[in-house]
Amino acid sequence: MSSVSIVGVTKRFPGAAALTDVSFEIRSGSCHAICGENGAGKSTLGRIIAGLIQPDAGAIHLDGAPVHFDSPRDALAAGVAMVHQELAFCPNLTVGENLCLHALPRRAGFVDRTAVADQARQALERVGATIDPRREMQSLSIADQQLVQIAFGVAAGARVIVFDEPTSSLGVSESDALFTLVERLRERGITILYISHRMPEIHRLCDEITVLRDGRHVATSPAAALDDAALVRLMIGRAIDPESATPKPVPPAAEERIRLESLSRAGAFEDVSFSIRAGEVLGLAGLVGAGRSEIAQTLFGLAPATSGRVLVRGREARIRSAQDAIALGLGFVPEDRKLQGLVLCMPAGENATLPTVGRFARWGWLSPSREGRAIRGLFERLGVRASPYAQASALSGGNQQKLVMAKWLESGSEVLILDEPTRGVDVGAKAELHAWIAERAASGCAVLVISSELPELLSLSSRVVVLRGGRVAGELSRDAATQDAVLRLMTGVGEAAIGARAASPQYAERASH
Amino acid sequence: MQASLRRLGGSLLKSQQLGLIVVLAILGALLAGAAGSHVNALTGQRMNNFLNEYTLIQMATDASSFAIMGVGATIVIVAGGIDLSVGAVYALSGVGMALALRAAGPLPGWESVALGLGVCIGISLACGVLNAVMVIGLRVHPFIITLGTMWILRGLAFVVSHAESILVPTSLTNVAKARLGLGAELYPVPLLSMVAVMVLGQLYLSRTVAGRHVFAIGGNEQAARYSGLSLDRIKLGVYALSGLSAGIAAFLGASFYGSATSSDANGYELYVIAAAVVGGASLLGGKGSAVSATLGAILIVTFRQAIRTLHWDQNYEWIIIGTAMILAVVLDQSSTRLVARRLAARSRSSSSAAVPPPLPNASPADA
Repeated sequence: MSSVSIVGVTKRFPGAAALTDVSFEIRSGSCHAICGENGAGKSTLGRIIAGLIQPDAGAIHLDGAPVHFDSPRDALAAGVAMVHQELAFCPNLTVGENLCLHALPRRAGFVDRTAVADQARQALERVGATIDPRREMQSLSIADQQLVQIAFGVAAGARVIVFDEPTSSLGVSESDALFTLVERLRERGITILYISHRMPEIHRLCDEITVLRDGRHVATSPAAALDDAALVRLMIGRAIDPESATPKPVPPAAEERIRLESLSRAGAFEDVSFSIRAGEVLGLAGLVGAGRSEIAQTLFGLAPATSGRVLVRGREARIRSAQDAIALGLGFVPEDRKLQGLVLCMPAGENATLPTVGRFARWGWLSPSREGRAIRGLFERLGVRASPYAQASALSGGNQQKLVMAKWLESGSEVLILDEPTRGVDVGAKAELHAWIAERAASGCAVLVISSELPELLSLSSRVVVLRGGRVAGELSRDAATQDAVLRLMTGVGEAAIGARAASPQYAERASH
Repeated sequence: MQASLRRLGGSLLKSQQLGLIVVLAILGALLAGAAGSHVNALTGQRMNNFLNEYTLIQMATDASSFAIMGVGATIVIVAGGIDLSVGAVYALSGVGMALALRAAGPLPGWESVALGLGVCIGISLACGVLNAVMVIGLRVHPFIITLGTMWILRGLAFVVSHAESILVPTSLTNVAKARLGLGAELYPVPLLSMVAVMVLGQLYLSRTVAGRHVFAIGGNEQAARYSGLSLDRIKLGVYALSGLSAGIAAFLGASFYGSATSSDANGYELYVIAAAVVGGASLLGGKGSAVSATLGAILIVTFRQAIRTLHWDQNYEWIIIGTAMILAVVLDQSSTRLVARRLAARSRSSSSAAVPPPLPNASPADA
């Protein structure tokens, strides 16, 4: 058991949030949530505690004594480990090699593979993981990679483990397994620091909550004393209106913008049919791996369909590249804005006009003033609070996401495909993005939304199509689309109860009427 | 606000090149001070051994081939690629031009210049397109493709020329050595060509749609594809331009020196990449400037000249150039970090005003 005290920690950074004089206590053996919007400094604080970065001022105290970590290795030696959002290991080495990397067992100067596998297996067993230590790290799912990180920390004798937004890339069942493990670690006396901004899991796991805002400490309080609304208010400094994103009813006569007819892509999804009318927001629900993003990519010409067809405005469309898709009026906000959405080293404004930059040119010759005017207009309409000349990498997650949206606002897309449009953005920006999606639909766009956050999906969508294992498991109207109904379709749990009569195709039929 | 930001952006751009200019100026001043002087045999006047028009124009001539190809290399590097074949393209287009002119027999002056230029540019563009087609079609890293074509094209130059030096008609030399009103032994055409290519390259990168696409594809190829950019067309363009730059340099070089051989420009690809990198181009792609690459080429040539002027052992040349290149890149990186920090501090102080103050009742912090 170990208590952690944060004493007057200050950290300055080029281009990112700083921490200013943050002080609070983490009780020994507790599960302590650190929440705040993106850019509030919570990950920075976690990284300081785990020795990845060093504070400019202030100190971390472990069991009352000040400690100084120059590296994660120092921190681990003192019993502090961190579980990162992203891969923190060498992806090309095996699980066993990664777990033993700090002290590879050797025999006659060569790595002893049997000993590596044995040590790794023991470490994995201690966290209840059944992963083959001989597999390559990069072949594991994100959930399993996290397990390996946890196993690494536990095996190294960690008494404090920092979790940095551990569920941001996990599906529902994977998250549940993680919560169970976190609870077990805590029962063993390990102090947990849980960095997150997801209310349900904070309330499920944590007994104390610290809120950071703009790099400053706002509050530390028992979890029971803060309900969701109070927590959000502390995080963003104002209240938000949860009803702002409710979609307006779609007139039944509205034109059909896009229709999929038994579209399939071998190995990804099969026999998928649905259509979206102008002004409609269709939600696409499903577990990770159910084929949601794959459908989006095929629609946008990034991976060819193997059978079936797509109709845009009633006419069969051949979409073999993103250029084709854009020419047909489609716009795509991909899942990972840093990898797929933005050129991070380019100025923010140039990112917003990337697909449309040809419009500001004559004979290939750019007019900076015309482009600048357009960029200012886009920034204003989307509420991007940053200089158009700042590098995109320096912007907050919310502003970056708005940049990706801006690309398709300028292009005048009439069919918007939004894959996880609010992943990793803070609560305030999320509300703005929701309002923007509703506004686009109201102005006549057909919108396809993919989101792993069910409450978000349900509040945005006028209809929900649920995928399971690459097939349409059912289609639910707004009224029928309760969290429970969607979850049953996603997991297939409900069908056992309904009985053998409701084999999935018939079930899909019924649900769509 | 907008105007001041633009001015800030402009001054940052300048400051990046300002560093190179300052280094060049200091180096030049030191050299001029240490070089001593001699009496010019033609005019009878005393002149500095370094700071005189003959040496400076000679340096510009030396720098011009590196700089012209350096602009092409910068474009490829900004797009996230690399082109190791430019030296070989130089040799092949020079030799091809000389052979074509020899085969054509005696022609009126302007016709041989036009034919030479046409052949040179044609061959170099074809080589660039060949590189591009292989990079795109075979999906092999451009380092390997252009390493292969470097040897293939160099070998081709040997084969077609039988490793002979081939003379180029004097009408071409008259163009490349045109004095344009300057005194004897002063040849400004390579210098002017270098400046022209630099200006065109800079305009291409910063003011055209194609140039914007080059930055996008080099910064993040996947995001460029997701934005509907045609990656293949952009890559075709950058390798063709890199080849073209070698063709222009070969035309100037062969014309200036009056002959072409298959061993011309041997090893230039590394000088050219060094020029681009000293000028701040990032081998990761997405960053680079034609003006800076030209300054980088001039810096490298100045180091070489320093060894000659100061009568140091020629064998130190490689050590000095290697050290200078690493130093230049390290200095550029640390100054970039400094600028980023300054910008971040600026945006923090301006954005903090937009954040609403904490609610007065939100203070369970005392708990």
